[in-house]
Amino acid sequence: MTEMENIAIADQVDDSSHPNSFLTKYVWSQDHKVIAIQYSITAIAVGLIALVLSGIMRLQLGFPNEFSFIDPSSYLQFVTMHGMIMVIYLLTALLLGGFGNYLIPLMIGARDMVFPYLNMLSYWTYLLSVLVLVSSFFVSGGPTGAGWTLYPPQAILSGTPGADAGILLMLISLAIFIVAFTMGGLNYVSTILQARAKGMTLMRMPLTIWGIFVATILGLLAFPALLVSAIMMIFDKVVGTSFFMPAILSLGETLDHSGGSPILFQHLFWFFGHPEVYIVALPAFGMVSDVIAVHARKNIFGYRMMVWAIVAIGGLSFVVWAHHMYVSGMNPYFGFFFATTTLIIAIPTALKVYNWLLTLWRGNIHLTVPMLFAIGFIFTFTHGGLTGLMLGNVVIDLPLSDTFFVVAHFHMVMGVSPVMVLFAAIYHWFPLLTGRFLNNSLGKFHFWGTFLGTYAIYLPMHYLGFLGVPRRYFAMGETDFIPESAQTLNAGITVSAIIVGLVQLVFIANLIWSTFKGKKSGRNPWQATSLEWQTAQFPPGHGNWGEHVPQVHRWAYDYSVPEVKDDFIPQNISPEEVEYLISDENNSREDK
Amino acid sequence: MMQILKTLRIKPWLPQGQETEPFSVATNKEKAASTALKFFLAVITVIFFLFTVTFLQRTQSYDFQALSGEPWLPFSNASMLWQNSIYLLMASISIILANKSADLQSFKGVVISLTATALFTVLFIGGQVQVWQQLNQSGFYIYANPANSYYFLLTGMHALHIVAGVLVFIRCIWLFSLDLSYQTLASRLKLCARYWHFLLFIWLFLFFLLTGDAQTFKTIALFCGF
Ligand code: HEM
Ligand SMILES: [Cu+2]
Repeated sequence: MTEMENIAIADQVDDSSHPNSFLTKYVWSQDHKVIAIQYSITAIAVGLIALVLSGIMRLQLGFPNEFSFIDPSSYLQFVTMHGMIMVIYLLTALLLGGFGNYLIPLMIGARDMVFPYLNMLSYWTYLLSVLVLVSSFFVSGGPTGAGWTLYPPQAILSGTPGADAGILLMLISLAIFIVAFTMGGLNYVSTILQARAKGMTLMRMPLTIWGIFVATILGLLAFPALLVSAIMMIFDKVVGTSFFMPAILSLGETLDHSGGSPILFQHLFWFFGHPEVYIVALPAFGMVSDVIAVHARKNIFGYRMMVWAIVAIGGLSFVVWAHHMYVSGMNPYFGFFFATTTLIIAIPTALKVYNWLLTLWRGNIHLTVPMLFAIGFIFTFTHGGLTGLMLGNVVIDLPLSDTFFVVAHFHMVMGVSPVMVLFAAIYHWFPLLTGRFLNNSLGKFHFWGTFLGTYAIYLPMHYLGFLGVPRRYFAMGETDFIPESAQTLNAGITVSAIIVGLVQLVFIANLIWSTFKGKKSGRNPWQATSLEWQTAQFPPGHGNWGEHVPQVHRWAYDYSVPEVKDDFIPQNISPEEVEYLISDENNSREDK
Repeated sequence: MMQILKTLRIKPWLPQGQETEPFSVATNKEKAASTALKFFLAVITVIFFLFTVTFLQRTQSYDFQALSGEPWLPFSNASMLWQNSIYLLMASISIILANKSADLQSFKGVVISLTATALFTVLFIGGQVQVWQQLNQSGFYIYANPANSYYFLLTGMHALHIVAGVLVFIRCIWLFSLDLSYQTLASRLKLCARYWHFLLFIWLFLFFLLTGDAQTFKTIALFCGF
């Protein structure tokens, strides 16, 4: 191997791939930064659809039968599409396709992903999966209403809304998404393993990259389970096999199926589904760590433990899946095993929470908007985590299963929390994309509206769950055990949900406005140490680094360093240059 | 493994001597592609592993009718499958030869061995399709029995992976025809070869798995605790 080839993707700027027309620059772009933005805009757009769907659901729950366009079938379809879009097409795509793509090359000091073309393909395949998904709103029968868990047999039997075209489009869309994710994911892991700048050892990587890295591996190993179950269900539906379908009577008719196991689907689904929680959570953990460190001007407390915890959580997340199936009639020992592993996984998770708190402890806390969202995340995540501990125990889960307590739990832990981090991250990295700040006042308004609003939505839901209000119900009808006051509570929740939804519009407006008119941020406005802020051009241009890729001399957390000018040392500053920083400081003191 | 543990014990906040650092200098594409391929093979392994687990469980179901063991069952005589296995084996071998010829910069060798690879791969796929047709003709429809369903499903998935490989393979040849660089061709073929070997291995595994008789399955299931 010649020297030239060794630096092929490092120091050489490949002129042949330099985009010059609008089309190659912004549409068929192979630049990771553009692809990241394409991913993000698409994800946020479908996310808004899911948000509107949740608003519609809330209208029905808060004010039953006031709105004629919601009937029991469409309610189920909205629940399903809302859940699936939020988990897969918004969070997974935005965290890994969006932030992963943007930050990996910049934070590890690479010029781009190692396979730019594959990266571009990944985005367009993702877009295709979104289009297939959305198209199911327009086919006869509408989208599937099977719940985001898609459990057979009901998912593919008539009687369930969208049991013909809807469910097929959903399964096909998921399969396409998985292909897209695999293309992207292979890129992320190979880039992290093979294209780091000189000196960027694994243990010098910012925690953001660690989170994205482990989450991507989880995704690569867990999505196959969803793929497998999707394919087998398509076969059951289309060619009449019986992988999941037992002998069954549907609307008075005996069907041709026999011998299949619906429980098998549940195992496959949750073998994917639980790691999915961490596919969403780990990048969020990583990003929030970095945001906290930067805005508290402190090195992250227990960096190594943070890395170990990410790796440990990643490993453990594959052996807890059956805690979603306690009510499926499993062997008690089996349940015992999964309850135990579930409680064990709480240890590294709690450790991370302590480390965030200890990072804040006596830090120089700047209550910027990113920091507010990061602190908000610590609240919501701890909250959701604690209810998770409760549900992890079989005896507690049995009565609460399929009630609004579960809805409240998973929204706190994997709905609100990652979204809080996403907001923190967007406010934090927006200047890197555009050279401008997001508007601060609107940002604070957005934070308080979202933070207090989500509490107003989800705290009461726990209580509804205790009362026994079931999830995925269009209406409660007449029940003896649920008091009238529950309806009042539901109306209140709906009002909060509408408010929270509207507050997000303020955020979108802020994004658009600030892109063009926001206050100029200048270079490295948060005074961060990590490489993405140290590019030659600001905001970073094509190829990221100008003439030479940076060389890394330290970890990413040298904040509040005594004597050094500006109190922090970027990762690419060598020990000799540090001396210069110090003497520079002394010089300026003498000047005064 | 030890390496990973060692890496994870490094204390990044302490000053570190440059020379002891495990530098991962930005490397060449070949290495990156090799890493990506390793992860991709892991993904495929998980897919077939999960299929296999569900299959083994199903073999113990009351309605499972193994595809061999009795004279009238299709794979009691598996000569077609043996023939296909040999095609795939030949494809695997010729792709190694292609890699070798590219190393030796022999144009003739490259052309012959690449043609052989393509030919044997196509023969394999054709052979698989033929088996599907025979099963259908003799009434072993995909929905008639879980064993049939799994046979079509798993061999179909395997064939799909081969087809995907062929697309990449065609791209290699196309790129070679553009720049005639033996070195890059060799490094690309090395990865193609790894993929072909892997799919050969998966195929042999599936062959064994899908043509088992009831007794074999019973033993395996007992062993795995189903
Ligand atoms: C303002 C924001 C949100 C509101 C008001 C909201 C509201 C709801 C409501 C009313 C349901 C249906 C409950 C039922 O009838 O069973 C639901 C289900 C669900 N939501 Fe949200 N949600 C929001 C954000 C999110 C986010 C960010 C996620 C991302 C993880 C998410 C994930 C889910 C999932 C997975 C379900 C379950 C769907 C199912 O049962 O199949 N939601 N949400
Ligand atoms: Cu779980």
